[in-house]
Amino acid sequence: MPRMQWPLRRGRPCLQVVLTLSQGGQALTRTLLADTGAGSRHVGFELLFDEDDCLLCGGFLYPSVTLGGAHVGSFPIYDVPVKVPALGFNQNVRAVGVPSVPAGFDGIACFGFLNRFTYGNFANPDEFGLEC
Amino acid sequence: MPNSSTVQDVNRELARKINDEARKNPQQSPYANKFVGIANGQVVVVADDPDELSQRLRQIEPDPAKCFGVEASRDYDEVHEIWELP
Repeated sequence: MPRMQWPLRRGRPCLQVVLTLSQGGQALTRTLLADTGAGSRHVGFELLFDEDDCLLCGGFLYPSVTLGGAHVGSFPIYDVPVKVPALGFNQNVRAVGVPSVPAGFDGIACFGFLNRFTYGNFANPDEFGLEC
Repeated sequence: MPNSSTVQDVNRELARKINDEARKNPQQSPYANKFVGIANGQVVVVADDPDELSQRLRQIEPDPAKCFGVEASRDYDEVHEIWELP
């Protein structure tokens, strides 16, 4: 089974996904905080990105979602093509577009996304990984 | 020809009506618990999951500014907490 592991960033679990610019097709690598506490399994979104990334990657809209905590209010959900090349993952994922992301990261991978995979440190406390 | 913000307004309003109906009358609504794709103010896709919706909707209307998706029966007003990093 393919597995990809990333070193912790600022002592926190993270992973990298690849987005594709809708104009020109350039690949954008984004490092996301892996947060199993963000959302639930059936929350209706799986990722949080800076809204500019959602727009640049040609995502169509869903109705807005209401967030609390770090982001308070109503925020748009976009359908965004997301790749994790090392895992052969290439699907459209619903992502919330927010005006700011956690310092040191480009967004958040919520529980709904992590739960698509087997996830954890795979016996290496300095890394976080996904396996499928 | 309506501009894309008008199209988006029409799409959003149709999505709201579909979701309201699916939530109020789940037995009667053909869209209850389905993923519904809207393009240019019309329902063009009814799918069982978001990936199927995305693929079919993008085939029918490649311009995302003219498309809209809705998970019918979902409570979009439910508040979801995102913790802030210290």
